[in-house]
Amino acid sequence: MTVGLRLDEAVWGLLNQALQLYGDDRRAVDHLRHQLARLEEPLRIAVVGPWRSGKSTLLNAIMGEEVAPVDGVDGSTVFTWYEDGPQPSATAYSTSHPPQELAIAKSATGMRVDLVGWRAGELRDIVVQWPTRTLRQVTLIDTPATGLDEQGRAPVMERVLRDADAVLYLTRDGRESDLRALETSRESAVGQAAAVNVVMVLSRVDETGGGRIDGLLTARQLARRQQRDPRVNALCVQVVPCSGLLGLAGRILSESDYAVLAGLARVARPELDPHLLSADRFVRGELPIRLDPGVRAALLDRLGLFGLRLATTLVRTGCDSRAKLSAELIRRSGLTELRESMARSLIDRRDTLKARSALAAVEALLRAEPVRGADELLGRVEQILAGAHEFRELRLLATLRTNRLGFDTELAAEAQRLVGGDGVGLAARLGVEHDATVQRLWEVAAEAQWRWRKRAEDPLLRLGQRRGAQVVVRSCEGMIAELAEGGR
Amino acid sequence: MIAAIWLDVLDEIARTCSAHGRGDLLQTVRQKRVQLLDPRLRVLIIGESHQGKSQLINAIINAPACPVGDGRTTVLPTVVQHAEVPSAAVVQAPLATPGRSAGGAVPVTTERIPVPLDKAAAGVAGTLGRRAGGGPAHVEIGLPRALLGTGLVLVDTPGTDEVAALGAAGPTAAPAWADTVLLVSDSTRELSAGELTMLLHLARSHPNVVVVQTKTDLVPDWRAVAERNRQHLADAGVPAPVIPVSAVLRLRAAVVDDRELNAESGFPVLIARLQRDLAGKSDRLARTAVGVVARTVVEQLAAPLRAELASQEAEEQSGPISRLHAAQREVDELRRCSMRWQNTLADEMADLLSDIEYDLRDRTRQVLRQVEEAFDEADPLVGWDAFQEWLERSLVEAAEANHEWLVQRCDWAARRVADTFARYGGDVLPPWSLATPPDLADRLPEIERPQIDRFTPSQKLITGMRGSYGGLLMVGLATTLAGMPMINPLSIGVGALFGGKSIHDESRQLLRRRQATVKTAIQRHVDDFFVRVTKERRDGARQVQRMLRDHFSALTEELQEAIIRSFRSAKQAADTDAAARDQRQREIRLKMTRLATLFEQAQQLTGGRPAPASLGPRA
Repeated sequence: MTVGLRLDEAVWGLLNQALQLYGDDRRAVDHLRHQLARLEEPLRIAVVGPWRSGKSTLLNAIMGEEVAPVDGVDGSTVFTWYEDGPQPSATAYSTSHPPQELAIAKSATGMRVDLVGWRAGELRDIVVQWPTRTLRQVTLIDTPATGLDEQGRAPVMERVLRDADAVLYLTRDGRESDLRALETSRESAVGQAAAVNVVMVLSRVDETGGGRIDGLLTARQLARRQQRDPRVNALCVQVVPCSGLLGLAGRILSESDYAVLAGLARVARPELDPHLLSADRFVRGELPIRLDPGVRAALLDRLGLFGLRLATTLVRTGCDSRAKLSAELIRRSGLTELRESMARSLIDRRDTLKARSALAAVEALLRAEPVRGADELLGRVEQILAGAHEFRELRLLATLRTNRLGFDTELAAEAQRLVGGDGVGLAARLGVEHDATVQRLWEVAAEAQWRWRKRAEDPLLRLGQRRGAQVVVRSCEGMIAELAEGGR
Repeated sequence: MIAAIWLDVLDEIARTCSAHGRGDLLQTVRQKRVQLLDPRLRVLIIGESHQGKSQLINAIINAPACPVGDGRTTVLPTVVQHAEVPSAAVVQAPLATPGRSAGGAVPVTTERIPVPLDKAAAGVAGTLGRRAGGGPAHVEIGLPRALLGTGLVLVDTPGTDEVAALGAAGPTAAPAWADTVLLVSDSTRELSAGELTMLLHLARSHPNVVVVQTKTDLVPDWRAVAERNRQHLADAGVPAPVIPVSAVLRLRAAVVDDRELNAESGFPVLIARLQRDLAGKSDRLARTAVGVVARTVVEQLAAPLRAELASQEAEEQSGPISRLHAAQREVDELRRCSMRWQNTLADEMADLLSDIEYDLRDRTRQVLRQVEEAFDEADPLVGWDAFQEWLERSLVEAAEANHEWLVQRCDWAARRVADTFARYGGDVLPPWSLATPPDLADRLPEIERPQIDRFTPSQKLITGMRGSYGGLLMVGLATTLAGMPMINPLSIGVGALFGGKSIHDESRQLLRRRQATVKTAIQRHVDDFFVRVTKERRDGARQVQRMLRDHFSALTEELQEAIIRSFRSAKQAADTDAAARDQRQREIRLKMTRLATLFEQAQQLTGGRPAPASLGPRA
């Protein structure tokens, strides 16, 4: 909604200008061409996090199939890309060899990639093509553990910022080192002006509180508390708690799994509870019902101790079919909210995030290889950033969703609608019927602008509210400008 | 009396510290002494956040002493110790003032704020009882438990994954004050890189570190995790055992009074370990601690000494010895230089003389040639004065030009010689001048007018008469034959003709003679001039040569003197320096030996354990 020039058009122009500038630098031209091509590709979301934060599990939960991790690459520097494709396949890209097809073994709930014959550090990327609905709109990237190296840089995070358009940052407790890793994204001008591409995920929340049954509720409170932290808030648009393990279990729960759980749930609670006290006791102890140790181990592996406790309780309290139990597990795991938040904050804003990536790439190139005229282009980048109302809309939207501003529900809903939370078309934003005349659109927009301007200037409101109102006003002005342009 | 032995060694270490002037180390050693003499066992529990540290304490003493929660619950270090009645207090030291180190935090100046037991959690969270702007604070909780009554003191710390942050919360949470350090890591994952780094750091400075792997109830494969953790520790060279425990099981066992469950929780192993530490504190633990203190202190003291030794070796390349070598080179160089400039001067001057002479010769020859050409035609009798003036002028001009050239050549030669002194820099050209003498023309020999025979009228008459006589007589005789008188007009005419001719011939001959005379005279004159001027030039050139020689000799002497002086001083410095260094090295070696002895002594305490590579720098 940049008046005059839309963000994606401006970025397209900028990329072409940069192409002219670096006309005889082969590498730079290739890089810029690649960025141009990326504008058309699906949104790339990287799942990033420290070691053992549950990245692959969450990825599987999002896809609903056991695809990640690719075996044997844990702890190395390989990025695994999951994209849509006609049939399952996996290709390895390395620094020294030509791309090579990898053997895959399909299982009931997903697949395994065979990585025999590759040494650690040799591979750079593995691209897995997997036909699934989730991957239509996004490409998911499984990344190695983040961590600061000796020079205080985060090599994985740097590559993520280069290659991905958006980031799901997984953390178990949002500790200091996680925030530091995220802060590397703020080094560039683009990163500072538009920190709209990171969703923080509190992962493995089923382990919160030592696996107590109310652990998930606590995790939700923790997430809300974290989101109120200004430091966290400056780095990501949202904090979402999610247990990948439970979510995945819910999505791939089979009838036989359900049958076992139902059998367990039939045992009286006082009798069953001592066996659910520890993982050891469940696997090795004398259960009141006959259960093969292999099945027990598999069940524990799939659900975790907390999942077992939760699932048996759920079956007892009314989830009397696999579908019901599945749905309840997914609901409780927070996966639904995560997917919702991914869709709203990231996938719906694909164009904006793509433009943002391209801007960041151009900025990085201009700073790394300055040529004559690079300064002017850097100025242009900053100009686009300053004019890009889209980024501010995104931030406001994230704030409105958690209702941190203190608008009452109706106002918050209106603001959300006006800044494009319910759809980015003019009619959807203004909340009028699809076939409304230009005249009507104009009237509604002008009226909304007038009301929100008053709010933006109301000294009785809090600063945050006034600032939010200013963004809404700006959105209305943009719509009016668009109408004026179309009317002419 | 083994206790006395470690105490002796510790005191010896303290003495060594003060002998080396390391007050900071002395402070540490004294503090360690106080701590080792304290019969209670201070157990510090550290680890990243959310690993179950507080829960571990609760499970050890079987009482909810430390608050447990899902957010960040432990903000202040919490000391759990024995008390007859349950009590809690927030203890805050005043803001550390300069000049008072952390070791001086004795409870005289600290402020104790009692907190009701049910508010203890708020105290631990740092929201109650603590004054803003105060120094580091901690919470003390007293509980009447039998286990604590034996002398166990448990210290809970806020979660951190950085070693540096441990001491930052104040002396309470500093590993140096603890007898046993428990690093808590949960079973959901193996030891992280950060934890391993922390362990490596701790193991270097602390003798008694134990890794406690909590939450074994939550994970089916905790045994594999424990095995891998042991492997990691062995790979990293950290001598810490891994004790897997489950606080949930232990607490549950306490509730239902289930011995089997308690054994399953793994706590009996941990508690046995703590009790063994407690029992052996005054002996085994103390000896190990002293061993570690000795190693730390010796390393700290030896490091600067070793660095000094190394730097001294490096200094030999840059110190006085190298200056001495430089001075030596300088002396040789000067010797070569003086030889060079003398040769240059002699050569230049010889060239100069021959060139100048040739030039002068050339110029005078030209003058002579002109003179000869002139006097082939001209009569010296006519315009002699003008000629004389011309001759003198051209000779003076030749002499002046030649002199000018001499001056230039001398200057050039002086520069050539001065060039050999270029490396000594500065302006070494002598302030000399060889100006053209203004009275050159006056000093030239006067040309004396040559003796020239003039053809006087009387001579003409006689010559004419003589010539005419022959003709008159010859024609008169012939005409007498024709009958004419001897003297007749014809014979007179012929006689006059003959007379005229002889006069003419005679005058030409005279002219030739005159010209020859003049030429000879001028030649002689020019020769005289040449000889005189050459002499002057030679003298001048010699004078210049002498002057240059004197000047450069003086310069050489001056330089030589300076260089020899610096050479002497360098030699002297090198000698004294070598002596001083030798002495310092001996001192350092002696100190090192003493430190090594001390180290040996301390290591013997720990019961013949092989000493880790004595004084070598640790990786």
